[in-house]
Amino acid sequence: MASELSRRAFVQRATALSLAGTATPFVLNLAAIGEAAAATATDYKAIVCVFMYGGNDYANTLIPTDAASYSAYFAQRSAFAYSQAALAATTLAPTVPLADGRQYALAPELAPLLPIFNAGKMAVMLNIGTLVQPTTKAQYTARSVPLPPKLLSHNDQQSYWQSSSPEGASSGWGGRIGDLFQSGNGNPTLTCMNPAGNAVFLSGQNAVQYSTTVNGPIALTARTSLQGSAAAANLLRSLISTPVNHMLETELAKVGTRALNLYDLVSSARAVAPTTSTVFPAAADPPSTLGAQLKEVAKLISVARELGAKRQVFFVSTGSFDTHDNLATTHPRLLTNVADALRAFYDTTVELGVANQVTTFTGSDFGRALTANNSGSDHGWGSMHFVLGGAVKGRSFYGTPPVVANGGPDDIGQGRLIPTTSVDQYAATLASWFGVSDSNLSFVLPNIGNYSVRNLGFVQDPPLPAAVATAAT
Amino acid sequence: MVDQAVPVDGRVPDQNLADALELRTAPEGLNKAALALPAAAAVLLEGCGGDSPGGGFLSPTPTPTPTAVPVTPQQASRFLAQASMGATRAGITSLAASGFNAWLNNQFSAPRPQKFWDFLVVNGYNVPANVNGQAGFDAMVWSQLISSSDTLRQRTGLALLDMLVVGIDGFASPWRSFVMAAYLDVLWDNAFGNFRDLIDGIASNAGMGLYLTFLNNPRANATTGSVPDENFARELMQLFTIGLYQLNPDGTPVLSGGRPVEVYSQADVSGLARVWTGWVFANSDNTTPDRVRLPLVANPNQHESGAKTFLGTTIPAGTDAAGSKRLALDTIFAHSNVPPFVCKQLIQHMVTSNPSPAYVGRVSAVFANNGSGVRGDMKAVIRAILTDSEARDDANVTSTSFGKLREPIVRLTQWARAFGVTSPTNLWPFGNTNSSANRLAQSPGRAPSVFNFFRPGYTPPGSPLATAGQVAPEFQIVNEPSVVAYINYMQTLIANGAGEAKADYSALATLVSNSQSLLDELNLVLAANQISAATIASMKSALDTIAVATPAGQNNRIYAAIVLVMACPEFLVQK
Repeated sequence: MASELSRRAFVQRATALSLAGTATPFVLNLAAIGEAAAATATDYKAIVCVFMYGGNDYANTLIPTDAASYSAYFAQRSAFAYSQAALAATTLAPTVPLADGRQYALAPELAPLLPIFNAGKMAVMLNIGTLVQPTTKAQYTARSVPLPPKLLSHNDQQSYWQSSSPEGASSGWGGRIGDLFQSGNGNPTLTCMNPAGNAVFLSGQNAVQYSTTVNGPIALTARTSLQGSAAAANLLRSLISTPVNHMLETELAKVGTRALNLYDLVSSARAVAPTTSTVFPAAADPPSTLGAQLKEVAKLISVARELGAKRQVFFVSTGSFDTHDNLATTHPRLLTNVADALRAFYDTTVELGVANQVTTFTGSDFGRALTANNSGSDHGWGSMHFVLGGAVKGRSFYGTPPVVANGGPDDIGQGRLIPTTSVDQYAATLASWFGVSDSNLSFVLPNIGNYSVRNLGFVQDPPLPAAVATAAT
Repeated sequence: MVDQAVPVDGRVPDQNLADALELRTAPEGLNKAALALPAAAAVLLEGCGGDSPGGGFLSPTPTPTPTAVPVTPQQASRFLAQASMGATRAGITSLAASGFNAWLNNQFSAPRPQKFWDFLVVNGYNVPANVNGQAGFDAMVWSQLISSSDTLRQRTGLALLDMLVVGIDGFASPWRSFVMAAYLDVLWDNAFGNFRDLIDGIASNAGMGLYLTFLNNPRANATTGSVPDENFARELMQLFTIGLYQLNPDGTPVLSGGRPVEVYSQADVSGLARVWTGWVFANSDNTTPDRVRLPLVANPNQHESGAKTFLGTTIPAGTDAAGSKRLALDTIFAHSNVPPFVCKQLIQHMVTSNPSPAYVGRVSAVFANNGSGVRGDMKAVIRAILTDSEARDDANVTSTSFGKLREPIVRLTQWARAFGVTSPTNLWPFGNTNSSANRLAQSPGRAPSVFNFFRPGYTPPGSPLATAGQVAPEFQIVNEPSVVAYINYMQTLIANGAGEAKADYSALATLVSNSQSLLDELNLVLAANQISAATIASMKSALDTIAVATPAGQNNRIYAAIVLVMACPEFLVQK
């Protein structure tokens, strides 16, 4: 793999690129570091991004329950605030209490996650969101620091969250992590996988997103015979997968090639997946395939050996979180779906014996406003998120509890939070656990150099010999 | 909620046509820049090559009179790929004889054969059993997209629906098929009208009110601290009219210190949101679908009565809901971003994903002023898009970047129109085609959100396109499952149709014994001869392995030929 010739070629290319100007260090880094990173991956690890499209309402996801904060919360959204009584059973008791008596409860619909939190396998991220660099309210107000472009815009903040660029981004941080590890996988194309559609998150500079469905890859009906003709079927496969001159046609052919070439490998691997007993509850209203997607991810993880994978990045998603209205009806159902799916997925990883090797984390366009707009909430910025897995240092909060207010020190009005932890830091922590070295973080996250803390510490392998760790679980 | 027993203020905001017209015909101030340009629409007529920047027109020599330049069948088919829901052999012949402008004039003047709403009523879907379902919806849309003679209106409507997005699954309301029908009728009715009327239509529509949640949106409540819902205000600006960044007339971003300039702030969103308060259904009767097609009316008690400030405009305190809406839409309509923002997207949907700034600029100029001082004339805009030198230049057929991925819905309708698919009892049973596992990954009127199936700024990550700064919107729904599912689905449709909706291949009967002739016909009608001779030759060899001694064999060769053509990247990318 890393022959002397290719290494020299890398160095030469790197030198040429570094002379070309400031826009190239990204590429430079990738060329220089790919092989070394891959060489370290002898075990299996996966990170799984669970994205809630539409902008999850943070305030009814993680509810402040200490008296002063609850009162402020209730005042801003009395029409659909949870009652204190409803929150008693899901009030979180972290190992180390928050300062100043601050307390939070999970929304009651997230109760299925409470045992995971209490078992120390789930962490809660406070006020996390897109940033370019640490940003105070004064800096925001004065626009004296760079801000993520197009704040509060769904499509752009989805993209920024996933890629550090607005809509039109050419790679995402999940894909860039994939760039560093794909050469260590038996089939590099299966490094970044999505069982439901497209997301920029999974595309790197070289790493590509490979999509399947919740039931695996799709077979071409006419793969051996088109209307009775083998010759026509052969030609059909050739047409689908042969690059031609036009840029768009070439791009189509790339996808077609992957679809045809990987079908046999992925479908035959799935066929030998072990049976698991954990039930993924169906989500009927609103319809969501999140559980089915995560079930498929678990299946793919269970056949990582057959797929030749040592490091994988997965992306799953569910929508309808843009709760401008009817929040009291819609949002609890959405949370129920998420909780059921996350719980079943975590339980399945335990059942498969891979819980310590799989870290799952949530994301969303943005948080929403705390202040109600009649029956819902409008677009915001910072939000609350969850990380689950055997390697998670759970039963803890990470980050800073924001002041619960409309126009307080931590919001830009109506409780739209200014994030105090950046997605970059969140991503860097996950990437570090995954095996990305500190020096390579700026390849994955170009703005990470703006933060003094690059590892939030919420996930790390237990510092035990592997044999002991295995025996202990 | 407040849609019960609504006090109607008597000034039903159906349309402030007179005011809007006054705005349009008052070029002083508004349209000075546009008027300084040559009458852009006039120079875009065919046969006047050489006037347009970019050159490469059909005729190298400007002709003094607007006599139609001969149109070849290939050019006719290519035009129809951009302008219609699918070419037919007869349509190609007719267009080649008449020329582009006569065809456009004919399409512009044709009344709608049927409204969406009327399809539902005529076919008996307005019965109580359907109050909570979506019965009739897919049939209604497919019926028009596939069979309606006003094919340019269908294509324009579909382009507008890709931009002014509403989806039937986003309505929390009874009579959803009718809500969608009424919304689509606004788009289709105004497709050849004025953009100012179009945005008034959507801003007054129950479906939009439901989808972007300003229906029953109350004014701020000082007691509870509740503020107006910002959903529609934000997307009206961001997605429907002006976008996020200041644009030059050619669609490129205005830069200040090397950085794009934001058009509006959160304060503008909050200010504009105050306009969309107090809007309610016209009546409280939901036992029939009728109210969902009536323009929303104002409940003065819930309309924000204070001043409304946004985009540098302040609507004075005390202005009523209808007046506020009029002033708000006037302000937006007059914004300099509207022409390039709207025109570029229409070009992307019809002609090419990456139009040159000059092309966008030429069309935007027509939007700003149709040559008679009218801003927002959709007919002039559509004519400018389709007759522009960049759209018509035959040299672009062999470009390695010009064109667009055909959206899956249009691929299906191309097949259906080319081969005369009918549905004898109007069931049009194509249904919901959203599945990326076994359908098209796209279904008309079933976008997953207001961001549609694909965004105009999407580029396949990690691709040479992304590196080159190019976009390819339709690739947002291209992935490993969807490329295979499309072919599988089309193979089924081509061979079997969908239920009672079947194709008629009788016109191919005389060609089937000669694979080359068969392919030549398909290449012309479906692909405007954009499939290369080499690819056609490989298809001929494959098809020749299918014996045609029996009717079954003849069918197999026809089906295989159409599958190969429609699966071929040289077809899938419309140049």
